[in-house]
Amino acid sequence: MQLDIQNISKRYSRNKFGLKDFSMQIETGILGLLGPNGAGKSTLLKMIATVTKPTNGIIALNQNNIAKDPNYMRKQLGFLPQDFGVYPNLNAFEFLEYMAAMKGIGGSDLKLRISQLLEGLNLIDAAKKPIGSYSGGMKQRVGIAQALLNNPKIVIFDEPTVGLDPEERVRFRNLISDLANDCIVILSSHIVSDIDTIADQVAIIKDGSLITHGGQEEIINLVKDKVYEVSIPKDELAAFKEKHIIVSTTRLKGELVVRYITENPLENSTNMQANLEDAYLYLTKTN
Amino acid sequence: MQRTRSYAFLITLCASLALGYTFVPEPNASYSTIRIAGYVGFYNSAWFGYVTAIMTSIFLALIGFYLVNSGIKKDTETKVGQVVAATPISNFKYLIAKVFSNYMLLLTIIAVLIFMSMILFLLYNDGYSFGFFQFIKPHLFITVPAMFSISVLAVVFEVCFGKYSVLQNLAFFFLFTVLLVSTPQKESYFAFDVLGNKIVMAQIEDEVRDIIKSDERIAFNIGYVIPDKKETKKFEFDGMNFPKSFILSRIAWMLFGIALIGIISLVFHRFDRRERIRIKPSYQPNKKQIGANEIQLSNLPKPKVNYAIFSLFRTEFLLLFRKGKRWLWILNIIGMILLIVFPLTFSHQIVLPLLWFLQVHRLSDITTKETTHNVHYFTFTAFRPMRRLLVSQLAAAITLMLLLSVPLIIRLALTFNFTSVLAVIFGAVLLVVLAATLGILSNGKKLFEVFFFMLTYTNINGISHADYFGGFEHSSFYLILLLVLILSLTCITFLKRTYTLNK
Repeated sequence: MQLDIQNISKRYSRNKFGLKDFSMQIETGILGLLGPNGAGKSTLLKMIATVTKPTNGIIALNQNNIAKDPNYMRKQLGFLPQDFGVYPNLNAFEFLEYMAAMKGIGGSDLKLRISQLLEGLNLIDAAKKPIGSYSGGMKQRVGIAQALLNNPKIVIFDEPTVGLDPEERVRFRNLISDLANDCIVILSSHIVSDIDTIADQVAIIKDGSLITHGGQEEIINLVKDKVYEVSIPKDELAAFKEKHIIVSTTRLKGELVVRYITENPLENSTNMQANLEDAYLYLTKTN
Repeated sequence: MQRTRSYAFLITLCASLALGYTFVPEPNASYSTIRIAGYVGFYNSAWFGYVTAIMTSIFLALIGFYLVNSGIKKDTETKVGQVVAATPISNFKYLIAKVFSNYMLLLTIIAVLIFMSMILFLLYNDGYSFGFFQFIKPHLFITVPAMFSISVLAVVFEVCFGKYSVLQNLAFFFLFTVLLVSTPQKESYFAFDVLGNKIVMAQIEDEVRDIIKSDERIAFNIGYVIPDKKETKKFEFDGMNFPKSFILSRIAWMLFGIALIGIISLVFHRFDRRERIRIKPSYQPNKKQIGANEIQLSNLPKPKVNYAIFSLFRTEFLLLFRKGKRWLWILNIIGMILLIVFPLTFSHQIVLPLLWFLQVHRLSDITTKETTHNVHYFTFTAFRPMRRLLVSQLAAAITLMLLLSVPLIIRLALTFNFTSVLAVIFGAVLLVVLAATLGILSNGKKLFEVFFFMLTYTNINGISHADYFGGFEHSSFYLILLLVLILSLTCITFLKRTYTLNK
């Protein structure tokens, strides 16, 4: 499986771009797509999912241009949009059967597959109740189930963990880690912890452009020896913010312990082990 | 502001222009809109102004209600209502704001209609000069106050009937019919006429009665009348002076509307309605330990390719069937029984269009419900959405309409009236593709709802030109015409949906 994104742009008006001259090559495995709100993540995912077409450029799955032949992508696609709805009068089972019909799948084992997916997503007890009665997290899990219905070869999850409680997040991660062997999984989020435990590759985008793309370690190395912790008085925080990139602050006995990224650390600062969140903040703030 | 920025508003304005164009017919047109015992007025400012005002008060009352009667529903659907509920705004202020929002929209349409009739006056006038006050006066005293009452009614009905949109439609249909057919017997009773047009109609009638020297009631035709051209005579109508009591009654109606909002605000749900579907405690899924029911996706049964559309059709039919309250199906069943028990002609001409109209909320969003329910990302990325999904949506709706018509179809077939059987089938198909086309073009359901309402109203009033289900006698080309309409609308539907998908 290979997804080639070649110089794609999405222009909304003369000077407004959702994505600009964006290129990336994605192979089998889990790709974590990180970026601040409005970076263009959802625009990119919608174009890959054939919901919308790029203004320029080509998206090719196994060398098939999906703008010209969207059904080639759709046959093997599982897509969970960021903002989706359901028909409230259908129950989860009926809704998934409907989704299966839309995807062009059926057969005698379909019901069993749906049941097992609902079981895996902890929805089987409520499967015969109208989806209109579900909580936000339950609806999100129905969305995840429909994305996995057709044994997809390319799976796109746009902010999949929204509304899921911590236990369900773990369950979700365990579920999709199984896909990494022979599928392309694209997982978009602005929450780094959703990505760092699961993604083989990470891409960071901002303002419609790709900042970096590579393995987690490779990206973390960009901030190696630049992450420090220091204790400062509370009233110095504002001035500190102007000079450094702050990752986090912790209150401790009237002082603040600040984790920050810099090439010129303050005295008494302790060098810390960098992680993906440090790298993400560093790259999005400095680019 | 939010409403005026919508595409639907643009379509509404265009439709208003088209409607305004027909209010005062072109001198050689084959129809008239107001005709009294074969008389129509000379095309002067007064006639233009009063005819436009009467027609606007009737048609905009009818259409306008459906245009504006979903303001609260929209706030509920978009969850803005919950935000509103958490602000200090009082129920009265919120509801009165809705009334004024409705009113502004209707006034905009009135302005468009007046503008259109001014242009038409310049084109058609019978050599008379333009008198602005004569032109505008009837609007000030008839349509402007009447539309305030309609704006109030829309809010009151929404609060009273809540989610029961079918009941809203039926109740307004009933109320509108009562308002239209009630005729004040004394001059002082004109004050009770909410729409305010009866006083003008009485004045016009009196003037014609003076001309023909008759004390008897004379035929006052209003609507789209196709007369015998040879009999059309003209008379000079110079407008009228509205009595003070009538002018005060308009203000009183507006104040009564505000008071009604005050009363209704006491029972307004403030977006804290009990949901129809509630999870009983026993429905709550058990919290299971992570790993307790974990599955390996690679071990799940592999799905097989199946491009048949039956599953889609079945679910689309289920969605149509389950739409709205279940007990509303009692009305459908009663309608089907009436199709059996009433005389065949009455069943065909009256019961069938009413029974079909009861399905307005089912048909109006057959092709836009994906967007309404935010399911369009799934449906638009479905495998061959045009050939499979759209077809199954249309097929499910046609099946529903035909199932409802089965008693009539059987009765017609038993009388060997196969032309009428075909007409009913074509009528059902036409209605469905019309709903699909208007839905896809306007990206909403209002346009179809208003159009369907008008269509049903004209059919109930026996206007055979609007007959789409073979209830009246027609030429042999009638079925071909229906077929051409169906094919044209189907083409538009598929082309527009393809265009949307390819964007």
